Amino acid sequence: MLKVENLSVKVGSKNILRGINIEIKKIEVHALLGPNASGKSTLAQVIMGFPDYKITAGKISFKGKDITNLSIEERAKLGMALVFQHPPTIKGIKLSKLLEKISKQKVDIKEFSLNPNILEREINVGFSGGEKKLSEIIQIISLDPSFVVFDELDAGLDIENLERLTSIIKDKLLDNGVSILLITHRGDILRFLKPDVAYVMLDGEIVCSSGNWKEVWRTITRYGYEKCKECEGRKLLSDRQPS
Amino acid sequence: MKNVRSAKGVNYSQTDNRVEKISMRRGAVILPSFKAYEEFKWTRKYFEQKPEEGYFIWVKKQINHPLTTCIAISLPKVSQEPRNLVIIEKGIEAEIYSICSVVKKNLCGVHIGKSRIVVKESSTLKMRHFHNWGRGDRVESSIKFFLEKEAKLSYNYKCLAVPETLKKESNTFLDFRSSAGFEIAVLAECGDVDMHDSIFLNGEKSSGMMKLRIIADKNSKISAHSKIIANSAGKGHLDCTGLLLDENSCISAVPELLNKNKDATLTHEASIGKISEEELNYLRSRGLTEDEAINLIVTGFLGENVPFLYKGRTLSKDYM
Repeated sequence: MLKVENLSVKVGSKNILRGINIEIKKIEVHALLGPNASGKSTLAQVIMGFPDYKITAGKISFKGKDITNLSIEERAKLGMALVFQHPPTIKGIKLSKLLEKISKQKVDIKEFSLNPNILEREINVGFSGGEKKLSEIIQIISLDPSFVVFDELDAGLDIENLERLTSIIKDKLLDNGVSILLITHRGDILRFLKPDVAYVMLDGEIVCSSGNWKEVWRTITRYGYEKCKECEGRKLLSDRQPS
Repeated sequence: MKNVRSAKGVNYSQTDNRVEKISMRRGAVILPSFKAYEEFKWTRKYFEQKPEEGYFIWVKKQINHPLTTCIAISLPKVSQEPRNLVIIEKGIEAEIYSICSVVKKNLCGVHIGKSRIVVKESSTLKMRHFHNWGRGDRVESSIKFFLEKEAKLSYNYKCLAVPETLKKESNTFLDFRSSAGFEIAVLAECGDVDMHDSIFLNGEKSSGMMKLRIIADKNSKISAHSKIIANSAGKGHLDCTGLLLDENSCISAVPELLNKNKDATLTHEASIGKISEEELNYLRSRGLTEDEAINLIVTGFLGENVPFLYKGRTLSKDYM
């Protein structure tokens, strides 16, 4: 589905990502863990094609096609989507209007136990944290994507709301064959979505890739992210390497 | 644009310099201005001289539907000088849709409109004013609002197709406990726009709010002067936001607060910039092209295009 090969990225003269390799197959959930400012959100935006970044090496393929030089909307049309960590407010445009413009499939908001008034509010204007995340997920579902990056879906969400949202993700996305890259630094969402692969990113590099997310998370909670650097490519990486 | 004569639901329509149609409504007197000047001597204080064009609307009793006026230019090189007078009697709630427009975009017409609007004690007026011009036109629009005590005004002006030059001026005079809310949206493409909007807080506890949303694109120039003058203990706020869509346009926003009463509170905010990359990327990630995303952001910025409705029928489409 998505293949990132030896990807290096700069912003201005600064190297942000170095030699990133990720391969996500159909219906797989991969988790990308790492401390603040390690480059996780940058990778999400580079995958989605944001123009602020300069790819200095490597390539990104999606459904077997090289998309390294495609625009954001071309990637979206191929079936890629991004759930924003901090979605911007768009004043004057109601959520219903945006859904009308972008939807490839109808979404019944009643299924999400959400006040339908949210559709008649301006996008993200005055939305609570939970409403923002739900608005993001409703938009993504309406796009009928085949691959979604969730950039810190869990940030600012209480455990009940997180469980509710992950249940929607399972029901509406995973059960429909969607692949997911999950960016997080919380264990709860891993427990709910049980990723097939977990990566640890430090200073713009993936230092660990494992098929055993529980062990990765245990290492992080017990010893911190820096420990992952120590076992770089040995203990945890040996569990699973993307082919 | 359809022929204004065929438009149903319009109460006053004028094409070029001719009155096309007047449709009276029970509870309101609707006349050409010159007839009102002749029939009602008290109206003369509102006109500088006997008017030749324009409408007079006197709302004497409650009316449950909006009143609509349309002044259009249909022939090349026409020069209009409508003088309009609107009187809303005490305790009435009225709604007026006012359209000034051209039939074609290449007529090089001149429209110099002057309006006086009197909203009497404890009455409410919601007025939506829509301008639609061609690139060779020259337009001057001047409007004065007089709000008596406890009167309310909601004025929404929108011009999404500016002429070659647009000079727009409004002066609003507020009495005790009266309030006025202005929403002004202008999208300038290949045009020169000069706006002067002032609110005078003359009565205690009066309040005025002015929200300007202006966009300059394709070699346009917008100069927006907005001002609140507090002569009494009232409250006023100016909010001006401008968007520049190309390198060859410019916007000058000049908010001015003049406070002559220590118990009055006046505030303002102003910003001019480009469309946020973050918003663009967000919408593009939803599959919209850059142009579609810009259009959507611009639409939202200028406020949703709520159609003019009369008995469930959209009137505004007849004029756009």
